Amino acid sequence: MKAGWFRQAWWLILVAALAALAPHVISEFYLMILGEALIMSIFALAFNLLFGYMGQLSFGQAAFYGLGGYTVAMLLTRLQFNFWLGLVAGVVVAGIVGLLVGYFCVKLRGIYFAILTLAFGQLLFVIIYKWHDFTGGDDGIQGVFPPEALRAPIVYYYFILIVFAASVYLLWRVVNSPFGYVLKAMRENPERTEFLGINIARYQLMAFVLAAALSGLAGALWAPFYRSVAPFYLMWVKSGEPVMATILGGSTTFFGPVVGTFLMTFLHAYVLGFTYFWPVIMGSFILVVIFLLPGGILGFAQEKLREKRFKGVSPDGRDQDAS
Amino acid sequence: MLLETRELTKDFGRLRAVNSVSLEVRRGDVHAIIGPNGAGKSTYFNLITGYHVPTSGEVIFKGRRITGLPSHKRCKLGITRSFQITSVFPKLTVYEGVLLALMSSNGVTLNPLSRAMNYFKDEVWHILEDVGLADHAGVRGDSLSHGDKKRWELAITLGTGPELLLLDEPTCGMSPEETEATMILIRKLAEERGLTILFTEHDMGVVFGIAKRISVLHQGMLIADGEPQAVRASEEVQKVYLGGVA
Repeated sequence: MKAGWFRQAWWLILVAALAALAPHVISEFYLMILGEALIMSIFALAFNLLFGYMGQLSFGQAAFYGLGGYTVAMLLTRLQFNFWLGLVAGVVVAGIVGLLVGYFCVKLRGIYFAILTLAFGQLLFVIIYKWHDFTGGDDGIQGVFPPEALRAPIVYYYFILIVFAASVYLLWRVVNSPFGYVLKAMRENPERTEFLGINIARYQLMAFVLAAALSGLAGALWAPFYRSVAPFYLMWVKSGEPVMATILGGSTTFFGPVVGTFLMTFLHAYVLGFTYFWPVIMGSFILVVIFLLPGGILGFAQEKLREKRFKGVSPDGRDQDAS
Repeated sequence: MLLETRELTKDFGRLRAVNSVSLEVRRGDVHAIIGPNGAGKSTYFNLITGYHVPTSGEVIFKGRRITGLPSHKRCKLGITRSFQITSVFPKLTVYEGVLLALMSSNGVTLNPLSRAMNYFKDEVWHILEDVGLADHAGVRGDSLSHGDKKRWELAITLGTGPELLLLDEPTCGMSPEETEATMILIRKLAEERGLTILFTEHDMGVVFGIAKRISVLHQGMLIADGEPQAVRASEEVQKVYLGGVA
């Protein structure tokens, strides 16, 4: 049994080992990029709980990411708040606003859900952007420092890594739980799910709040990492990042959003080194993936594996019935 | 009396799809609703399950008025349905679909951290064996044959622990052999599990072979209701329905 477990999880151990060793191998510049990729991965995983698992496209997820960041930034710089309590507050604020926004959004499905999340996201963005006295407006907030012990890049990197691992573990548990199965069922067929005795709106709201809180966590990690926040963190452009990363990596797989985020983040950092036209390169890259690898990188691989495993069984399964 | 509808009416704009249907379904019966296409069978079903809100009239289940209750609450009370267009879960396996139904009816679906696969193993296998899908447990919904999809539907519906099972054209699109097998299965399930079954059907042979009671809808109205022989003998039924087939 133990060997079987290892055969499935060996790559996870390998990746964890690589992540732990990385700071001693790569340059400080790429260590920062790695930290950024980990934070954005939490954001993308939270987004994909709604998109890949529940089947609802949130196009305003950055609002919660930004709120998490702003909460930490304001508490730390204005009230000299304890860093840890600040992080918790970032998650809680994002979650509470998620509850309010989600209450209205989960009544809708498909494009209407996407548009309403986008509208709420932009509304929150405009509030932060315009309310200069309270939020600093388009100046943002600077000088958001982590506590002394976390200030060295390598230490903060390990801190991010631990939070990332905890978030992955939490989401893994959630998507494989009875609650997670309800999310998948709602994605596949909301009408049929309701006839299993499921109150769709209630479950969607719960998932929405969880995704908002985790997006808030990503933002709350980012603010002290980057030492500042700015209004565009709440903007629809930022909301598009997890969407693209998830489509790139594969929304039907658990780790797809992480793969997509890493690709986008590192490609961005690399391409920016020699051209400002990075969106052109990124756009071409996404086009290639969509046409050559339907389902995203991991999604495509998973589907190929499945086909291989089911080879010999006709697609409609009839040859098993023949007897 | 398990289910009763009183003067149940549904209008779609100027079309009266269901016209003042008063009907009683007795506990333990296999009760068929027949009628030509467009007779209002599916709409009538949808009124009972809560998918549509009636224009007027009442739905009473176990003596309780449930007319305005949402579908998921009716399901918890013990009313469940299958769909005419096999409306299942394409990316979930046969096993997972039944497991979901069981988790929902047992009220564990709010648990966000425990492992779903550890729940109700015996119950899932029991249902899968009952409907003959045990060797397809790991097959995904989109890889099932049409007949197996229908059986999966049935298995999922059983998982919700119903007292009243509504089957909308359970043999629609099946070969004669599959149809017969499905009907035998339905009767077996009704007897073994003590279910009350209300189903719609257009194949007359199938209905007379299995139903204890038959109600005939025509243009939204109930034109006959009773034992199979009595319904078959009714002149009006022969005129609007049987005559049309012969």
